[in-house]
Amino acid sequence: MRLNILIGGSAGQGINKISQIISEVLTSYGYYTFNYRDYQSLIRGGHNFNILCISNQKIQSNDEKIDFLIALDKNTLNLHKNKLKEKAIILESDKFLELKKDMNLALAGSLIKILGIPESYLIKEIKKHFNNINSINAAKQGYTYQKEKYNLKRLNNKPKIISGSRAIAIGAKNSELDFYFAYPMTPATGVTNEICLMNDKKLKFFQPENEIAVANIALGASFAGKKVMIGSSGGGIDLMGEAISMQGISEIPLTVYLASRPGPATGVPTYTSQSDLNLALNIGHGEFTRIVAAPGDPIQAIELTNQLIYLAEKYNSLSIILSDKHLAESEYSINLNYKIPLVISKKYSNKIIKKSSYETNQLGNSTENQNQVTKNINQRLSKEKDIENQVKNFKTYEIYGKKSSKNLIIGWGSTKGAIIDAIEDIDAKFLQILYLNPFPESIKKELQNSKKIIIIENNATSQLRELIKQKIQINIENRILKYDGRPFFTDELNKKIKEIIK
Amino acid sequence: MNTKDKIKTNEPITWCPGCPNFLILEAIKQTITNLIEKEKINQKDFAMTTDIGCNSKIFDYLNLSGIYGLHGRALPTAFGIKLANPRLNVLSFAGDGAIYSEGISHLIHAFRYNQDMTLFVHNNQNFSLTTGQSTPTSQKGYIIRGENKIEENNPINPIKLALASNATFIARTNAKDIPHMVEIFTKAIKHKGFSYVEIMQDCLIFNKDVNNKDKLMYKIKDNYDYKKAISLAEEFDYNSKNKKIPLGIIYQKKEPTFLEKFK
Repeated sequence: MRLNILIGGSAGQGINKISQIISEVLTSYGYYTFNYRDYQSLIRGGHNFNILCISNQKIQSNDEKIDFLIALDKNTLNLHKNKLKEKAIILESDKFLELKKDMNLALAGSLIKILGIPESYLIKEIKKHFNNINSINAAKQGYTYQKEKYNLKRLNNKPKIISGSRAIAIGAKNSELDFYFAYPMTPATGVTNEICLMNDKKLKFFQPENEIAVANIALGASFAGKKVMIGSSGGGIDLMGEAISMQGISEIPLTVYLASRPGPATGVPTYTSQSDLNLALNIGHGEFTRIVAAPGDPIQAIELTNQLIYLAEKYNSLSIILSDKHLAESEYSINLNYKIPLVISKKYSNKIIKKSSYETNQLGNSTENQNQVTKNINQRLSKEKDIENQVKNFKTYEIYGKKSSKNLIIGWGSTKGAIIDAIEDIDAKFLQILYLNPFPESIKKELQNSKKIIIIENNATSQLRELIKQKIQINIENRILKYDGRPFFTDELNKKIKEIIK
Repeated sequence: MNTKDKIKTNEPITWCPGCPNFLILEAIKQTITNLIEKEKINQKDFAMTTDIGCNSKIFDYLNLSGIYGLHGRALPTAFGIKLANPRLNVLSFAGDGAIYSEGISHLIHAFRYNQDMTLFVHNNQNFSLTTGQSTPTSQKGYIIRGENKIEENNPINPIKLALASNATFIARTNAKDIPHMVEIFTKAIKHKGFSYVEIMQDCLIFNKDVNNKDKLMYKIKDNYDYKKAISLAEEFDYNSKNKKIPLGIIYQKKEPTFLEKFK
């Protein structure tokens, strides 16, 4: 069973609030949910919507076609009627206009009734958000107004609702990070908010004057004995480029969180994209190594954030956690079981210690000596091998689906959910690459053993395909690419894959 | 080994012969030696940051911990060190090119944050290491070598900028006056908050027009009055060849430091 509920209206009408309440009611009733947020870059008005997908089984994506349309305004119905399935149910706000700002709660109530969930589950969640009689009555009014159409049974699953941003924050806290620095930029800001919400005694946040300051403050703090992470989206990361190069020569540990959105420049700022893989792999002038990994769900985000902070500290290296708006801002419902975190302790040196943006001699002072320059570069690049060996202890890729299949789908990052959900009825397996650098070259055998290979990416130039060509000299012919700012939807992707795997 | 020897390095010094940077280095070494010997501050409890330019070569000549940072970024780097390790006495060295051009936003915000650290600006009113280009404090009419141009714009007045940005310690000194530098440097380091010290300095190679202004310089008493500070700031506009240049603590006030405010 899988139902897709589109909740739409203008910004400020409480769309996120009711998706959240409906999700909480459903998870407390034992169901899994996935909430996709589609919103414009404005604060009031416009048109925003969420697609909330619910299921009795684990899900991590939503469909494009919808079973329920909850329309908080007329515009919503007009914009989305072409996505309605044949027997779709439409819930409109005009029945509850007198409730004014509480009409969203009435519509949530109506949906819960239609699904056949007892009223007590609804009221319990409403009370967590609005403990006032008007809000509770609005929900009850909506509930009473409708008739039960589905008879959802109580299930024993106990999933937790969590966004990718929250998962990154948990990974940071688990690593006993000291500081997170960032300048506001969608969709990276979610991590700032989640870290601040934790109100942790140890993990502190500061927002400096710009991203250049962010990165240089982080290097200073890391030098002085603290574990640090910085975050932004593409534009902000560009501004950090020089300091990231400074990390390359000074070898001051630094972890960077990069949450992508469509570029170039401001692009489509509140939408999603995987177009910054090359940026993560290449940012910073000069030749130096780095670790780049891309989680595809909240558990991977928790674990990879932890691994990357650990690796940055252990190898005095640059770590880049590559995410995007879709992973950062979608709300997953999962069983929150993750590996015991790796924690590395860090202290300020008790000796005179000098780090520099110049090439240096053994004392840390500037040098132009040709032998020393070569030696330094060799030393810095040599740790790539050490990192590679260490990373072998971690999962660098995952395989899902029918493991014996000769049809191989390859992807990375936030497309994971839609791909797994889309191949349920297809003879295919899915290879998700977690570490983009060091690159898991052992995947070569998987590719060689497959007859048909499809690469799926949320970008226009298939950046992973180019990386695979460079690293293991295999040219992948079939590509499914999407670069309209929207993530892949399960039904859409299922169709596209079936066009290739007949 | 005496303290002064402990805080120097044996790196060959590559400043031009006669450059006032030698005198600034000497004044810094005297200041730090005093603080280590008299105030019992541990040598390891100093940390310095520099940016890129002639002045920043001082990093190689001081045996202190720190980061030889990027051009214009001495302040955020220093801010991070202090934030992470409040016990350190953090000193930043920057030139007028880096701090007033590339790093100007960091300077304005440093005044606002009032992190307890000290900035020394070596101001010779031009870029020297890149062989003679104009900075925001180059005098109007400065001849820009290599560009076949003269500077057409008026300079900014960084002292006024500091006053407008809620600075809590503003001082000016002369690179040819070691005792005055030591006095001001010591007071700056001891100030609780962000201390900004501008060191007026000749460039013997690329900006001879504004050298030898010593006769115009005069020493003031430590000033705590804001209105007086504004008039002191306005006395010298970085263009004038005959107006007086006040030296000393132009303004000082007490305000909570960044770490006292940070939660």
